[in-house]
Amino acid sequence: MPVDTPDSANLAVETVGLTKRFGARAAIEGIDLQVPRGSAFGFLGPNGAGKTTMIRTLLGLTQPSAGSMRLLGLPCPAERSQALRRVGAIVEEPRFHPQLSGRENLKIIAAARGPEVHTRIGPSLDRVGLTERSDDKVKRYSLGMRQRLGVARCLLADPLLLILDEPTNGLDPAGIHEFRVMIRAMVEEEGRTVFLSSHLLAEVERICDHAAIVDLGHVIAQGRIADLVGGAERHELIVEVDDEERALGLLRDNDRVTGAHRSDDGLRVVLAGGPEDAAAINALLVSAGLAVSRLEPVRRTLEQRFLDVTSKLGESESESEGEGAGVRA
Amino acid sequence: MNLSIAKQMVAADFLKIRKRIGNVLTASLLACGPVVIFFVVRAAQHSSNGLKYPPAGGVDGFTDALRLLAVFFGPLAAILIGVDAGAGDSAAGVFRDLVVTGRSRLALFASRVPAALGLSWLVASAGYAIVLAGTYVFASGAPTPNAALALKGFGFTLLAVGVVSTVAVGLASLMTSRPAALTTFIGWQLVASPIIAGISSLGDSRRIVLSQAIVHFSPVHFGDRRSVSMPAGTAVLVLALWLVVFVSLGAWRTRTMDA
Repeated sequence: MPVDTPDSANLAVETVGLTKRFGARAAIEGIDLQVPRGSAFGFLGPNGAGKTTMIRTLLGLTQPSAGSMRLLGLPCPAERSQALRRVGAIVEEPRFHPQLSGRENLKIIAAARGPEVHTRIGPSLDRVGLTERSDDKVKRYSLGMRQRLGVARCLLADPLLLILDEPTNGLDPAGIHEFRVMIRAMVEEEGRTVFLSSHLLAEVERICDHAAIVDLGHVIAQGRIADLVGGAERHELIVEVDDEERALGLLRDNDRVTGAHRSDDGLRVVLAGGPEDAAAINALLVSAGLAVSRLEPVRRTLEQRFLDVTSKLGESESESEGEGAGVRA
Repeated sequence: MNLSIAKQMVAADFLKIRKRIGNVLTASLLACGPVVIFFVVRAAQHSSNGLKYPPAGGVDGFTDALRLLAVFFGPLAAILIGVDAGAGDSAAGVFRDLVVTGRSRLALFASRVPAALGLSWLVASAGYAIVLAGTYVFASGAPTPNAALALKGFGFTLLAVGVVSTVAVGLASLMTSRPAALTTFIGWQLVASPIIAGISSLGDSRRIVLSQAIVHFSPVHFGDRRSVSMPAGTAVLVLALWLVVFVSLGAWRTRTMDA
């Protein structure tokens, strides 16, 4: 059973040591995940990292090999049925009965969810802009329309938690923008929690406020996106001056600088303190008679952070395999 | 789960299979087409030579047409419908979305059976209406079945089609593949069953063949040389065994499989 902590009530998803093995291969292993309620949570990882397996395990589509989990504060599998009543999910690409219309497909799900859900069919179709095409057969829908119908199907549950697996797959740029706006509205205006898996880092950075980075079945990092991007609180500047050699000498001798080197786009200067030191660095260079044409803080992106941590994991994997250990530390 | 939800779920499953128009048309053709052809051909023969060929209708025509519907083509139609009901959600990739509703998997399985029965019986009833119409329209003075026999014939048709349809739901839910379930069940019914029934050295063990147990309940004697006689109790037991085994297997698979 998951450990009951005071925080459990504030979590939409909580897993402890969640593991799913297929034979000897672990698709996910020892996943400890905490998804705060009312957040847009990105579950980031490259293809094959275990994102879909994680979602399938959370939803009870496949049984975990080990570990425990809670959905909306309810222990699973013991109370999964009750939890799922307020969960909407799209797993992989949304699938439907092609011979039925969009509305009829929603009726099928509404029938399983309960009589009160039928009243939500119209508003859900409205919400995703499919009302006019709702009586067309789904086999005539584009991929984008199916994605929207998938979201409408999720909304039937009036979900407190939406679990979406690669939801922007197949959407055009306008569709992605529309989707992003819809998700943000669900979180900010309606207080829903959205758990969204994706390999599209920029997308997650734009939509989500929290994220976990997963690779090879392990969560490598998780937390607020701002914290994840900040990494180890490293503050760095890009500086362009007329005399790089002199500038490097001055910078390396300065206490506010822990490192400085040339790069393709100028000098990279790592600050010992915070971003407020940038002004002092500028003053130092200008007072030394150097012409500073550019001084810009390096903005780290989730992509950089992602590549940092996933590549490190890959390296440690290779090393472990090279040493014949075969087991991840 | 209350009755209202159960009704809605059955109605939803019925909608899914009813809207597979190609499948429903094929099943309807199987149930009605051969009976129509039978009466048309027999009527044409009788009208061309009334001495050589008996009337298409009457009790004889009823017996042959009932056999055609309840023993051969009705069960085939029931297989098509039952398999569609049993494997439709998996084939469409929608089963996982139904699981995510939180509804119990057993309830998801259970709602398929009445839906398949409903459509199978509807199609078989249409076939039986043609049997009755042909029986009376083409009687040409020959004795016709009385109301009791006509009613028993209908009951027999519903029984045959219902049992096969239910077994098909279980088998398809077990195999989760329409083509595999169709091939297996049709192969069993059309190829394996007659062969097994024809091997007299197998003796009483042939009673386990589903179609043989079903034929036992026919209100008319079909005069099939290969039919295996059995007591009524054994026939009931065999039917119950088939139903229990396949419904249980289908339910078990639906409950335990990765969605």
